[in-house]
Amino acid sequence: MNLKRWLLIAPFLLTVFLLQSYFWVPTYEKQATGNPKRLVTYIEGSIADAKILNPILNADTASSGIVSHVFEGMLDLDENLDLRGRLATDWTIMERAYLAVNPYNRFPDGAEVTGSRVADRITTALSRGQLPALEKIVRSVRVLPPERRTETVPVQVKGKDGKPTTVEVPVTLEVPERVAFSLTQVDQDFFTRLTPIIGDRYLKHFPYEQHVHMPDDAGSEIEAQIRSRFPELLPVAEHNPEILFHLRKGVRFHDGHEFDAGDVKFTYEAIMNPKNLSPRTSDFEPIKRVEILDSHTLRVVYKRLYSPAINAWTMGILPEHLLNEETMQREMETRGLSQAARESFGMRDSQFNRNPIGSGRFVFVEWDSDEFIHLTRFEEYWEGPPEYHDYYMRPLPDSLTQEVEFHAGAVDYYATLPHQVARYKADPKYQAFSSLGFGYTYIGYNNRLPLFADPGVRRALGMAINTEEFITYLLYGEGERVTGPYPKNTEWYDHSVEPLPYDPEGARRLLEELGWKLNADGWLEKDGKIFEFNLITNLGNSVRKNIMTIAQNAWKKIGVKCNPAIFEWAVFLKDFVNTAEFDAVVLGWSMGIDPDLYQIWHSSQAGPQQLNFVGYDNPRADDLIVRIRREYNRDRQRDLAHQLHQLIHEDQPYTFLYAPLGTRVLDKKIVLVNRLEDGSERYEKIFPIKSGDISFYFQRWRKLDFTPEF
Amino acid sequence: MQAFIIRNILQRLLLLFIVSILAHSIIHLAPGEPSEVDPSNPRMKPEDIARIRAAFHLDDPLYLQYAYWMRDLFTGELKSFKDSQPVLPKIWRKFLNSLPLFICATLLIWTFAFPAGIHAAVRRGAVYDRSSTFVAYMLISIPGFFLSYLMILWVVDTFGVPVIGMRTFGMENAQPLFQTMDRVWHLVIPSLMSAALGVAVLSRYVRSQMLEVISQDYVRTARGKGLEEDTVIYRHALRNALLPFVTMFGFLLPGLIGGSVIFEQIFAWPGLGRLGYHAILERDFPVILTLNFIAAVLTLAGTLLSDILYAVVDPRVRTRLEGEE
Repeated sequence: MNLKRWLLIAPFLLTVFLLQSYFWVPTYEKQATGNPKRLVTYIEGSIADAKILNPILNADTASSGIVSHVFEGMLDLDENLDLRGRLATDWTIMERAYLAVNPYNRFPDGAEVTGSRVADRITTALSRGQLPALEKIVRSVRVLPPERRTETVPVQVKGKDGKPTTVEVPVTLEVPERVAFSLTQVDQDFFTRLTPIIGDRYLKHFPYEQHVHMPDDAGSEIEAQIRSRFPELLPVAEHNPEILFHLRKGVRFHDGHEFDAGDVKFTYEAIMNPKNLSPRTSDFEPIKRVEILDSHTLRVVYKRLYSPAINAWTMGILPEHLLNEETMQREMETRGLSQAARESFGMRDSQFNRNPIGSGRFVFVEWDSDEFIHLTRFEEYWEGPPEYHDYYMRPLPDSLTQEVEFHAGAVDYYATLPHQVARYKADPKYQAFSSLGFGYTYIGYNNRLPLFADPGVRRALGMAINTEEFITYLLYGEGERVTGPYPKNTEWYDHSVEPLPYDPEGARRLLEELGWKLNADGWLEKDGKIFEFNLITNLGNSVRKNIMTIAQNAWKKIGVKCNPAIFEWAVFLKDFVNTAEFDAVVLGWSMGIDPDLYQIWHSSQAGPQQLNFVGYDNPRADDLIVRIRREYNRDRQRDLAHQLHQLIHEDQPYTFLYAPLGTRVLDKKIVLVNRLEDGSERYEKIFPIKSGDISFYFQRWRKLDFTPEF
Repeated sequence: MQAFIIRNILQRLLLLFIVSILAHSIIHLAPGEPSEVDPSNPRMKPEDIARIRAAFHLDDPLYLQYAYWMRDLFTGELKSFKDSQPVLPKIWRKFLNSLPLFICATLLIWTFAFPAGIHAAVRRGAVYDRSSTFVAYMLISIPGFFLSYLMILWVVDTFGVPVIGMRTFGMENAQPLFQTMDRVWHLVIPSLMSAALGVAVLSRYVRSQMLEVISQDYVRTARGKGLEEDTVIYRHALRNALLPFVTMFGFLLPGLIGGSVIFEQIFAWPGLGRLGYHAILERDFPVILTLNFIAAVLTLAGTLLSDILYAVVDPRVRTRLEGEE
């Protein structure tokens, strides 16, 4: 019977064909012996594929990883998290300060104020030693003539359909005479230090009305808005910090074109170009202008004091010749785009983002979406080429799959989960690392609610929780306690601050002092209401979920009723966090390296969709936060940061829980290679630097064909 | 027949329009924002987010957003939010990746399910029938991803060969035959895993269809005529039992899109399912909507195809249709 025979033969043949393929695939061991190139190939597993390979456009981890290899910034961070020159060889921070002459004002001795008088009096005071703090830093004092200029100010008005729209209003500014100071370093208190000469009322009163002219038909609403911005339009005292960069000579992009100051200026302009929709705009917004002094010297002038602004220059620099207006036009021609598409065509649409060319240590080769990104080393890299010849990034969207591939040797590195590290720690084939990163986890209380308004209540809630339990049972020991808002591995973190003790009895006493008494049902009660609130977190994070359960239980023991709930991330943000309609949340932050906490802790940032969603509001903290971001002296900045840390710890707007340790596993055969002068090699064990990063010396990593002993 | 087809196509076009509107509204009404405008990313200030939102038309009324989507889709200029790449070529490339997996899994399902089901029906109640029922229900009730994990761990531990992805890494310099076979090997486990459930379900169908047909009078007649048992089963019974499966061919088409989300995710297979899954997580509206649209087109085309096929193979249906005209 033919049909019957075929029905049986077909599956048999199919099976045989499929299974025989096994014999063509080499096992991993064979692959490495027959393929010595494997030792100089590094394969990294990533949970997600890259999105866009352009340093001014990417905002996700996978893309940044690749971009950091292909592009190079002006600066980066060294082992101690200090800035270090890359494309810039060195840099100097100076300041230019401007004081507007207020003719209606008088000096403390009653004399009338003019530009030359201000300049003279200050110069004399300096030479007589009356301004000791400024003697060393003032380089020159100069009077600038008055000028008249027109600026357009964007103002929000209600459009015809009732929606807010932005209109540009032309404003004429009569800038009076100004005294310009050139300073060798930035001093945020410069103008206050001048008050013995100019009087303490000088900075506070300025007749803006006579110097700012609005169009007559502006209407009261627009006028009010512009009036509120007078001090910004025409500052009486203006700080303009400046950075003078000297660039490295002889650096080439991967296509051979030489890097120069024009590329830096182009990169800055590309970020600020609204067509490009760069998510980095706010990092570069404080810049007033970028001046090219010569092909390898550059001056960046800032609008105001903002010390973290320099960190933005760690971002990769783009090659101007491949992305300028002309090249973009050509790309539109070749792709034959429609008129509508051309109008909105920006850098985001360019094919460059899938075939990037930078000046970093690796050259981009190929990107096969969801499969791999292949880089190869840049032989002419100014610091010498990396030890690895090839670099692959493989998107493997599942952590178990990643581990399987790691185990089979098809991946050299992946973000290992704590429980996976436990499996490899005992295995002599692997080296495991765990070190502090920049993140921490906390329970945040809605400080606006009467229930949580008293810091004592928040302290008591924190004391009732045993944080050590979280670290031992939820993190397998891979975590450390934290007491404040800074990453523990930065100098901003104050190690002298003691964590809250685990003391449920003390917590209950504290609440009793605040009027909370146990009722018959075993709950704390005050004014007829029991102590009850909702604790929420986002879906998909099992550790946070478990924290809620443990905390609920701990609070129950002191008579506090907590109702935990979990929401999908989007709902969580939209319905609870952004609208501040929550009682308490379990969340985590991943911080940057600078000490600026403005967005998360300043009271002005507590509005909808802003990051101070717990509504922390302490004028002393606000003042410290502003001083920190305006301070350019690192030692002073550190002192201020420590004060802020202590203050926030006292207020306990969050219960700070722990900083998870970053855990990583590598084959022991991967080592640091030191090339000695006689041409021989010495091997060193890989170690994490201060920031917890193990790949800081990635340049010198290589896989050996034997397991070294250290 | 022609009139029937034309009427059907018109009806389906209208349906497609309604489906696309529904899908568009549901996806936009669901909570969540594209990850490009995620307000919880401290790197982005509200002004930046507002600019990107405007460029994506996210603040326009829904009907306008729908119009923009349709315009861009049909002019081929629709771009993904995620990387600004044109959506259609992106989907096409992923489709080509998914295709081998789909074909291989379908072949496995259809070649295994029939012999297994027929055999079980013929030997109703015997040890084979009962054990195959047991295995089938086991495969149906154990989640596919769980089985896949066990399979991956077992294969990697026992045979020491990679099974994840479409090919082994580092074989770029091998001979073409080796490379092809390597790709076939990487197909085996994922397609086996995604076929397992299909085989279990389809073989149950085949079994019950066969049982129904075998108990019919004409089969008894055939047996009574003294025909060989094989002839009775494979020529007389099987042909009639096949009829409902003809319609199932049509339903295969939409499986091209959503068929293997879980398996593509687990096996890191760069296919359509994974593209769609990630697009949903990142709220990449253009990609989600277009995939959804294509899925709707395929489903409607599939049902049309099965209607036609049914008419072609079953004279009774054909006569009824022609009678209507």
